[in-house]
Amino acid sequence: MNSFKALLKREYWESKGSMFYAPASIAAFFAIVMIVGAITGPTVVEHNGHSVNVLEQLPNVVDEFNNIDEEKRDKAVQMGLYAPRVMFGFVMFVISLFYCLGSLYDERKDKSILFWKSLPVSDTATVLSKFVAVILLIPALYFGVVAIFQVFLLLFGTVVAWFGGSSGVTIWASSNLFGVLFNSLFSLIVASLWMAPLWAWLMLASSWAKKVAFLWGTLPIFLIAIAEGWIFHSSNFIEMVGKRIVLGFTTMNSDMHYLVGAEMFEESFVSHWYEVFAKGEFWVGIVVAAVFLVGAIYTRRFRDES
Amino acid sequence: MSTLIEAKGLSKSYGNHQALKSVDFTVERGRIVGLVGPNGAGKTTILKAILGLTSYQGDLTVLGMNPERQRHQIMQKVSFIADVAVLPRWLKVSDALEFVTDVHPNFKLDRAKYFLSKTNIPMGAKVKELSKGMVAQLHLALVMSIEAELLVLDEPTLGLDILFRKEFYNQLLTEFFNEGRSILVTTHQIEEIENLLTDLIFIRDGNIVLDATMEEVASDYIEVMVSKDDAEKAEALNPVMQRDVFGRRVYLYQGVSRELLEPLGELHSPSVADLFVAKMKEGK
Repeated sequence: MNSFKALLKREYWESKGSMFYAPASIAAFFAIVMIVGAITGPTVVEHNGHSVNVLEQLPNVVDEFNNIDEEKRDKAVQMGLYAPRVMFGFVMFVISLFYCLGSLYDERKDKSILFWKSLPVSDTATVLSKFVAVILLIPALYFGVVAIFQVFLLLFGTVVAWFGGSSGVTIWASSNLFGVLFNSLFSLIVASLWMAPLWAWLMLASSWAKKVAFLWGTLPIFLIAIAEGWIFHSSNFIEMVGKRIVLGFTTMNSDMHYLVGAEMFEESFVSHWYEVFAKGEFWVGIVVAAVFLVGAIYTRRFRDES
Repeated sequence: MSTLIEAKGLSKSYGNHQALKSVDFTVERGRIVGLVGPNGAGKTTILKAILGLTSYQGDLTVLGMNPERQRHQIMQKVSFIADVAVLPRWLKVSDALEFVTDVHPNFKLDRAKYFLSKTNIPMGAKVKELSKGMVAQLHLALVMSIEAELLVLDEPTLGLDILFRKEFYNQLLTEFFNEGRSILVTTHQIEEIENLLTDLIFIRDGNIVLDATMEEVASDYIEVMVSKDDAEKAEALNPVMQRDVFGRRVYLYQGVSRELLEPLGELHSPSVADLFVAKMKEGK
């Protein structure tokens, strides 16, 4: 267990930039833009041909906000808190993609695999640690950044409320902060788990590729799609891949979908992240991922680098 | 004395090319074995088989285990340095120590810190910020702090300057090697390590052409420097090899008694490098 933790730490050391610094800088960038915008932004704006003094209007806006229907206010605040996760979730998806492609390829490219293999760590533990990194570690780190950003949004809203002459308590009362944090964490993890077959496939390609792991990861998918279209005149395979990705995003943001209560995404799938566990496709995905992982372990174990 | 490595009929093919042609050898505890051969002779294949990095045919046991099936158990008692460049560039020195401490049950952190304290390597530096020599020092510090029974070195000093190379082997001898441990080393700079070897294995085209202790080599092979006038007499005794040195001729004999050779001139033990050249040319 100690050595598995060490393997995860190793993944973090190697990919600190994409796992933590990338989302952290995005969050910092938006926070700074919001703060600077609030301080230096124009105090007078044109609205329907009239000049409106923002600071003078602020109490009215805050007042209006405090007096709207509680349910509506809850929704508005919580949607505001969930919204940044859409962006962080997308960044996480792209980062995970490249992480998997490099996971078993980079160590062969720089020959450090010979150092890792000189230590008493099995190939199974190594490959699984990289899989756990993409399923748990990356979502957890992105959640950490999202959570801090969500708290920042509440603080920002509170300060705005102060300028509007209110205590800002209503924002916190409507936020359901712990629920939002809880859902944000598990939505990110479960969405990554839903995409497990994709990650595992990319890891297999990564363990196999002699050069350009990116092509090994993507080309077979397109070749199968083309072959299917040519032979069967159908496009089931590429639709399945596309659906896997799209439903990954809808799962990640299912609680927003639930709040709005409308067809926010064309493909409605689940209205809570935990409902994914009831879907057969989820478990099929896990089994497919397991097969790819066994392939990756086997390839790393017996691949002869010479 | 116990046997650490035992190979019987060890073979390996890459497609049509037979890299190892059914070789037999053993490595006993407390020995320093030099595995020497030209590029492509099969040295690295033997090392990879021992370390469980490649598949093979034949019988091979390392510390009584099967390297194909029990690689990660074997690695608790075996360490290796493949090349100076294999430490990942992004790894921080302090993180490297932490990682090996966590995954290796036989790693002694205090020893590693002691070795590093004798170098100029800063704990906070990343491998990519270190010089080639420092990377080798770091790797050696990590490896020497593992209580291993067998250390495998594959061209460990490649690309290092002479000072580092000397220091590298010096440290191995004084700080690591003892009667309970063995070292198996391949290198092209054979003249630098011939004084530390206890055993010699020459390999050529996938076959072992010499497998002897240094004492056996010394008693079996004799070099005689002969003036040109005695050349005929010398050639009558079937030398393994001859070469010209400053107008005189040096003959190398195998298994010819000293009494027969003494009248011809001064007797020497051949250097490993000369013996190697002779063995590689033999029969060609």
